[in-house]
Amino acid sequence: MFYLPPIDILIQILINGILFGAMYGIAAIGLSLIFGTMQIIFIAQGAMIVLAAYGTFWLFHFFSMDPYLSIIVIFPVSVIFGLGLYQVLFRRVARAGKFPSLLIAFGLMVLLENLMSVLFTPNPRSVRASYTAYGISALGLKISFTRLMAFIMAILATTGVSLFLKKTLIGKAVRAASENLESATLVGITPHRVNSVTFGIGIGLAGLAGIATATTYSFDPYFGFVFSLKAMIALALGGMGSVVGALMGGVLLGVLESYGSFFLTGGWADVISYAAFMLVLMFRPEGLFVRSSDSEKP
Amino acid sequence: MKKKTQIGLLVLVTALFAAVPLILDSEKSYYVYFLFMAFTFIALSQSWNLVAGYTGQISLGLHAFFGLGAYVIAIGWGQEIIGFFDPLGMILSGLIPAILAVVVGIPLLSKLRGDYFALGTLGLGEILRLVFIQGGALTGGSAGLMLPSSSYTSMLPYYFIALFLAVFATVVTYLMVQSSLGWALKAVRDDETAAAANGINILKYKVLAFAVGAFMAGLCGSLQAYYLFHIHPQNFFGLNWTLYPILMCVLGGVGSITGPVIGAIFLTAIFELSKILLPEIHPIFSGLLIVLTVIFLPDGIVRLGWFEKFFKGRKTESPINLKLFTGKEK
Repeated sequence: MFYLPPIDILIQILINGILFGAMYGIAAIGLSLIFGTMQIIFIAQGAMIVLAAYGTFWLFHFFSMDPYLSIIVIFPVSVIFGLGLYQVLFRRVARAGKFPSLLIAFGLMVLLENLMSVLFTPNPRSVRASYTAYGISALGLKISFTRLMAFIMAILATTGVSLFLKKTLIGKAVRAASENLESATLVGITPHRVNSVTFGIGIGLAGLAGIATATTYSFDPYFGFVFSLKAMIALALGGMGSVVGALMGGVLLGVLESYGSFFLTGGWADVISYAAFMLVLMFRPEGLFVRSSDSEKP
Repeated sequence: MKKKTQIGLLVLVTALFAAVPLILDSEKSYYVYFLFMAFTFIALSQSWNLVAGYTGQISLGLHAFFGLGAYVIAIGWGQEIIGFFDPLGMILSGLIPAILAVVVGIPLLSKLRGDYFALGTLGLGEILRLVFIQGGALTGGSAGLMLPSSSYTSMLPYYFIALFLAVFATVVTYLMVQSSLGWALKAVRDDETAAAANGINILKYKVLAFAVGAFMAGLCGSLQAYYLFHIHPQNFFGLNWTLYPILMCVLGGVGSITGPVIGAIFLTAIFELSKILLPEIHPIFSGLLIVLTVIFLPDGIVRLGWFEKFFKGRKTESPINLKLFTGKEK
């Protein structure tokens, strides 16, 4: 019934999980940024990822554009889309507290899912480039090329966002606003500007995650909801408001799922990740990688 | 006394709806089906209204309790413990979700701020859906459970039970809100710290509202289970059972007794019409409507100027003093 597989298989599963989880990480960083300033969980993040995945798919389908090359289109468009999204939908209600924003995000998710289902049909799609099935073999382990690329993108995105938050003036403003909005406003930081910047980056990251998704998974319009949930789980594991924590939460979730689906059947693996999510929410809502001293946020 | 007119209005509306099957042929008329669905949604909306509108906790897990209630009936019937329209079974289908709400609610509501609660309840729905898919022979797996549909005799009992549920949910919400309990709930919603400072046990009231809401949602689930005879995890744990009631509450007016009723009837009509007229794209509307409603009509129909004017004689002062969504105090 229960047996311990050889060690190289265990390591292989670990690597798969880490590579897999990096994608949850990218999505979770976006959620974390938006949560930091707006105090809402942007539930529509998964739908945005799927939208970007469709973008990658159509660019590949019609213009034979390489999925990784399409970053130069998808990322800027996503950032602009995010900025616009804030200005059109959230700006009016941002001051009224977080519940209207939460409801709008929920409505947006349903709207996008169904819109994509009508426009693009609910059939599953995937990008099949020449290297999709290609794998790198090293030390008796096999590493999927597309997943490795997704992992590298996640590392680069995390580094980029961390640098942006630490080095640039607007990045510092974002950090100040997520620490204490009122004091930040007092020193002249405009909440709307900070919010729209985080939305821009958040949706931009969703664009990157979309490219990673399109190259590794087959996806359909309703795939995003589960992705949103997974990103939230990653965020809960890693701790809200920490960029590196979000990535680590994603990786941890990926490993958990990877081992879960090896030892149990696929369906139960999801139950385990949701159960881990609930347990963390219940008993350690500040996240696993955050010291409890700096977890208290105003 | 204004309270008397309110009760009079409730009795009058209930009597009018109860008389509908006398005029329309309940077995053939589409309107009877429409009202049946509208009543179910009124009960579900009141459930969400109590938790979110009056207690300020945004729950995204209505479908978890709804589906659980349906499965209580389906499994109970399959094991020959619960019969067709078994009152005891229906009460059980409300109690089990309520117990789950207490078990999940205590840790979720004690440590967490609002958005974590929203996430946790959303996760709860997903967990239950997956558990029931994996449940094997007992839950019928991903194909769900089929009940003996030969038990169906007439639409009338469904209609009256749905009407009863709608009135029950409305009256329970009304009584809870009117009592001193209601003041405690609203105090928790408006300022948690101040409520705690005034000696209100915040957790107790939050969990209580959450459990009562779960009880109502479970009852609605059991009625749908009796109506559809096929309890399917994707359908009964579908997100629409959370999305639609939220939409109905927000459109009608969160934190008011009449709001969810108006919102539920109005939106059920819109959804049914769009199902007939625009069968392909009607799900888009529900998403679009929720976005537009929150942006342009966040206080709901019941707080529109003309509406309040029209009902001035019959309405007491606005059910909540501090409008939930405008957040004017900050």
